[in-house]
Amino acid sequence: MRRLTKLSAVAAVAALALAGCGSSDSGGSDGGSKPAASKDVCKDAKGSGPKIGLAYDVGGRGDQSFNDSAYVGLKKAVTEFDGSCVEGEATDGEPESAREDRLRNMADAGANAIVGVGFAYSDSVNAVAPDYPDVNFAIVDGFDPDTKPNDNVAYLTFAANEGSYLVGVAAAEKSKSGTIGFVGGVHNDLIKGFEAGYVAGAKAAKPSIKVEVSYIQESDLKGFGDPAGGKAAATGEFDKGADVVYHASGASGSGVFDAAVEAGDGKWAIGVDSDQYLTATAAQKPHILTSALKRVDVATYDFIKTVNAGKPATSYTTYDLKNDGVGYSTAGGFIDDIKSDIDGYKAKIVSGDIKVPTKP
Amino acid sequence: MTTTTINAPGPVSRVRNAARANWLFISLGAIALVSLVRIVTDTNDLTSPGTIRAAIIATCPILMAGLGGLWAERAGVVNIGLEGQMILGTWGAAYFTYHSGSPWIGVLGAALLGMVGGLLHAVATVTFGVDHIVSGVAVNLIGAGVTTYLAEATFTDLEGGGPRQLIGLKAPTDVTIPGVSDAALNLADKHWFFISDVASFVAAMTTRISLLSLAIFALVLLSGLLLWRTTFGLRLRSCGENPQAAETLGVNVYRYKYVAVLVSGALAGIGGGFLALVASSGFSTNQTNGRGYIGLAAMIFGNWRPGGLLAGALTFGYTDSLRLRDTHAVHSLLLLVAVALLVLVVVRLVRRQVAGAIAMAVPGVALLVWFLATDSVPRDFTSMTPYVTTLFVLALGTQRLRMPAADGKPYRKGSAG
Repeated sequence: MRRLTKLSAVAAVAALALAGCGSSDSGGSDGGSKPAASKDVCKDAKGSGPKIGLAYDVGGRGDQSFNDSAYVGLKKAVTEFDGSCVEGEATDGEPESAREDRLRNMADAGANAIVGVGFAYSDSVNAVAPDYPDVNFAIVDGFDPDTKPNDNVAYLTFAANEGSYLVGVAAAEKSKSGTIGFVGGVHNDLIKGFEAGYVAGAKAAKPSIKVEVSYIQESDLKGFGDPAGGKAAATGEFDKGADVVYHASGASGSGVFDAAVEAGDGKWAIGVDSDQYLTATAAQKPHILTSALKRVDVATYDFIKTVNAGKPATSYTTYDLKNDGVGYSTAGGFIDDIKSDIDGYKAKIVSGDIKVPTKP
Repeated sequence: MTTTTINAPGPVSRVRNAARANWLFISLGAIALVSLVRIVTDTNDLTSPGTIRAAIIATCPILMAGLGGLWAERAGVVNIGLEGQMILGTWGAAYFTYHSGSPWIGVLGAALLGMVGGLLHAVATVTFGVDHIVSGVAVNLIGAGVTTYLAEATFTDLEGGGPRQLIGLKAPTDVTIPGVSDAALNLADKHWFFISDVASFVAAMTTRISLLSLAIFALVLLSGLLLWRTTFGLRLRSCGENPQAAETLGVNVYRYKYVAVLVSGALAGIGGGFLALVASSGFSTNQTNGRGYIGLAAMIFGNWRPGGLLAGALTFGYTDSLRLRDTHAVHSLLLLVAVALLVLVVVRLVRRQVAGAIAMAVPGVALLVWFLATDSVPRDFTSMTPYVTTLFVLALGTQRLRMPAADGKPYRKGSAG
């Protein structure tokens, strides 16, 4: 009996600790334009063009975000170049070797262009790429973890801070209260870039603006999959007087939109990665001011295009305002009156007159 | 939170009255304490109506999971499958709300799906005598897997749906009591000592509160009455304390265990439904994020009693919403926990429990020093706040945990011999 009590106490502590670590959802908070169709392009495509391997991050196809956006690019490429494709999906908490095996399986199956979706593929691609010199790899949001360059790997990165800067301008100009808010999913360097750009844009448009910042989780990736947490954080900011809240929190964002709806008329939320006005519910739509776009689909498609043309991209490619790899959306028409202002800032960033910070 | 009244002499009614007076005294003291800290640190968000409203929303799912755990464990079945049953509930709520158009049908659907998870656990543990932990882990894995599959199979082509989510669900009605709500909000805005804090609480309970939240608090009360004030409850608890003895007295132990685990699953399912319908207006896969485990822990530290688990769930819900809303408030929380611990030290000293007093004085003083020496809490710590605070308050507040005597032990019919 006493042993059982002890055991249960240990179990309870373990439960607390485990819940603290929690499960992680998709690492990216990034997106495409429309939710993927349920039909699977890889099942029917049997073309003789490039054979593409697409390795998704945790969450996989159907996350209405990052992975789906890559799928949109894949679909476009497969149809256009008459290619074929194979898909693979990471599972939560899998070992590094599982990612490597997935990439190797694709290469062994004859894929000549393999795209890893999400920075988490950086290490595994670095390990696998040298063994397959004839295969071209790309990593969305990826980086080279060592100093030895790989000449068959492309790193597709996004200047998310620049898109965030523009929606920061929009937020500041639309705010009547003088306070705006930001909700981040996880307090990591990637999301801090969103915050930095947003705050800088808001201050540029209105120096007196006050920005409330909160993060759902400190390091636990479950902050990207917690709508209830997103809603609580955003409600807190609306309660403190904010009237526009920008989120970079993946699937938690739907909670942020709900918070804007509950806060009432004149309260706005800003979407991220994809044009979230298009996927929002009827109740949420009147509250979605704009979205900061990150065109993972463009990056994926571009990479496959270079492979198909026989001149595969390698090394770093940054998608920024200049090449329309990031931007903002105008669906809903709520920012039509300030569009010229925003485009003015955009031109200055493109020309280099404004340097957008990457750290808050 | 201590249950020392159990040992108090005298007739039962006197004990009960003493217990009631005790709870009232503790609650008033707690409010005064929070109010004092709020004024000293000038952190009005500590008890603003918004914070309390968010705390209630964060508490409800944990409370339901904990209550589910209470039912099962009081009948002697350890149910760590709560998380899986909750996840099943999120899908059930979304599916039935979408297709019926009524969130209350959705809540029933959530209960039904949770009950399916409970049935699985009951068949494995009660009928086949599988180890409770093994079966519970299996239920968690199955719950997560089945839900992901069902979501992809049923939500993909719906409006507002996708393979991993279904948004735009109709929420249960919110209620506002017109006169009381305005008056309380007004009073809360004045930031007076004690009065405004109570007003905040009243305001949160009367302004746009979901009927489902109220129903959940009612379920806790109802469960307490059922389990401790009825013959049915006595028999059910006897299965958790000594099933052999219950069997010799003619109680159908298997049946009671089945009922308990089914109710347990249904309650956890409703908790999941709350997440999909009230906490946010939509389903997304794995949105429970470990709340089932937290509920289980709240129940254990709440000493397998409804009041204790309510306190545990509230502590967790309150601190979780506080850190999400205002990181500055977490710093004030240090003072709050420190002072609370030091108050408990005094109580211990009065009762001449020196060892216990020292055990509390050490963390209490440490927290106080931390509060005085710093201006803010490092960000890395803020997301741990709910876990750490709940551990502190409940682990130190409840000194003697007593689980049901036959909890988690295998029982075979006829073993009374």
